[in-house]
Amino acid sequence: MASISQVSQPQRRSSVARIATAFLFRPRRSLFLPVSALVVGLVAASIGLFRPAPRVLTAVPPGYAALVNQKGLLISDYRAQVETETGKAFADTSPAERSRILREMINEELLVQRAVVLDLPETTNEVRTNMAIGVNTQVAAPVLAYEPTDAELRAFYDQHRQNYTAPGSMTLQDLVLHIGGYQNADQTVSQAQADATEAVYQLRSGTSVDYVMEHFGFMRSGRAADGEELDFAAKLHLGDKLYQVAMTLHDGEISDPVQDWDGMHILVMQRHEFPKVADFSAVRDRVYLDYRTAAANRATEQNLSQLRRQANILLAPGLSE
Amino acid sequence: MHLHTARLERLLLAASPEMVEGDSGLLRFAAAQARPLYAQHCAACHGADMHGNPAIGAPNLTDAVWLYGTGTLYDIERTLLYGVRSGQDQSHNEADMPSYGLRGILNEGQIRSVVQYLLQLNGRPYEVQGANEGRALYIGTGNCADCHGPDAKGNNDYGAPDLTRNTWNSGSDPQSLYRAIYFGEHRIMPAWRATLSLEQIRALATYVYAVSHPQ
Repeated sequence: MASISQVSQPQRRSSVARIATAFLFRPRRSLFLPVSALVVGLVAASIGLFRPAPRVLTAVPPGYAALVNQKGLLISDYRAQVETETGKAFADTSPAERSRILREMINEELLVQRAVVLDLPETTNEVRTNMAIGVNTQVAAPVLAYEPTDAELRAFYDQHRQNYTAPGSMTLQDLVLHIGGYQNADQTVSQAQADATEAVYQLRSGTSVDYVMEHFGFMRSGRAADGEELDFAAKLHLGDKLYQVAMTLHDGEISDPVQDWDGMHILVMQRHEFPKVADFSAVRDRVYLDYRTAAANRATEQNLSQLRRQANILLAPGLSE
Repeated sequence: MHLHTARLERLLLAASPEMVEGDSGLLRFAAAQARPLYAQHCAACHGADMHGNPAIGAPNLTDAVWLYGTGTLYDIERTLLYGVRSGQDQSHNEADMPSYGLRGILNEGQIRSVVQYLLQLNGRPYEVQGANEGRALYIGTGNCADCHGPDAKGNNDYGAPDLTRNTWNSGSDPQSLYRAIYFGEHRIMPAWRATLSLEQIRALATYVYAVSHPQ
């Protein structure tokens, strides 16, 4: 028996090996793809078969008043809505009132769900705006809970004094002596400088503006308003160079000659009300509101920075933000 | 045991708040469920012993004094769901205690007088002249009565505390009262609806109710 088995076993092994070799180690290319596809299909089917299907609720779970397309309306919200709308305790409301309000809530939920289907956040500016505001409000809420101390408010006030500064105003005359090449003037710069220096001397000595204008050939530049104007307006009209000089002049002062693009100028300041920084105690209320607004803005900006870090934003060629 | 727990959880949520309030079994079950939740989510502000924290204005949850509502399970649950000034529309954010000092509505001497009046209201030692002036300010310039009422009993609809019960969220000493008036109060509590399940919120609300309403 031993000899038979020893002889026949290698023979059996060789036939099995031949078959295995034929299918496993020398696969036909025409079979490989269909077999692979079959395996992948079976795996996919088994995953679908054994994975639990999304649970469809057929009854309203505890804690909810209704299910609208599987979306729950909280009992607590329903009760609050009933009490708000009727102005009565829930127990004191009638079945008709409760039914009406539940119907309204379901209608509203249906409309909200429809709005999502219609993609209103994408298509309606009002919805987009309110969604953005809603997020900012939630982000700012914890920040606004903090009450600043007096010292923090004072520090904020010191850092933003320009926000609590009443604008100044000025009433002045701007005289100009045109220099050669401009409106037929034939003076050189040095001549104009000398005349203007003399004119300034006379004005400071009490000579009238009209006399100086006539004697030296000065004209009104047209850059200064007839009457009083606020600083920002004076800056626009005079230009930066003359404005910087004007801001140094007090009531009744005469400037040195100032050379600008159209000639030699002399500023005669009649009245100058300088900008005034309001006292902290007088604007404390505004500082408080500004402080809180700034804190809320910082919170929303930080939130946006975080969102941007997490976002994948691509810009079309040629565009920048 | 697991099935029993699941049944009680379901019952706790399905029952109306009023039913839960009267069911000692459910109250005990909710307390057991809620303790670890409380430790994880609430103790940081309200304290492990639930006695609150005056430094941050977190109220004591063991007494029967409520800022919003009357302390029913339903009221507590609403506060847990949507919070206080959480930025959500349904949160309690009807009113703020303005900062009377910072806004210059009352000067420092006037605020001290109002504090004296509050001490008088609560049967604590006070200065007569200051309290008289404080009472006039309470009704007049301060407009305190608009929210806290002419009798200073407060208004739970919009979180104006009763000023006659000697219960103070931000400290009861005169200096703390002074600070509350000078700087105002603008405390917040987060909305837990997005963080906790309805079952957890109901359990926590029931726990707070049970602790503040000892049988």
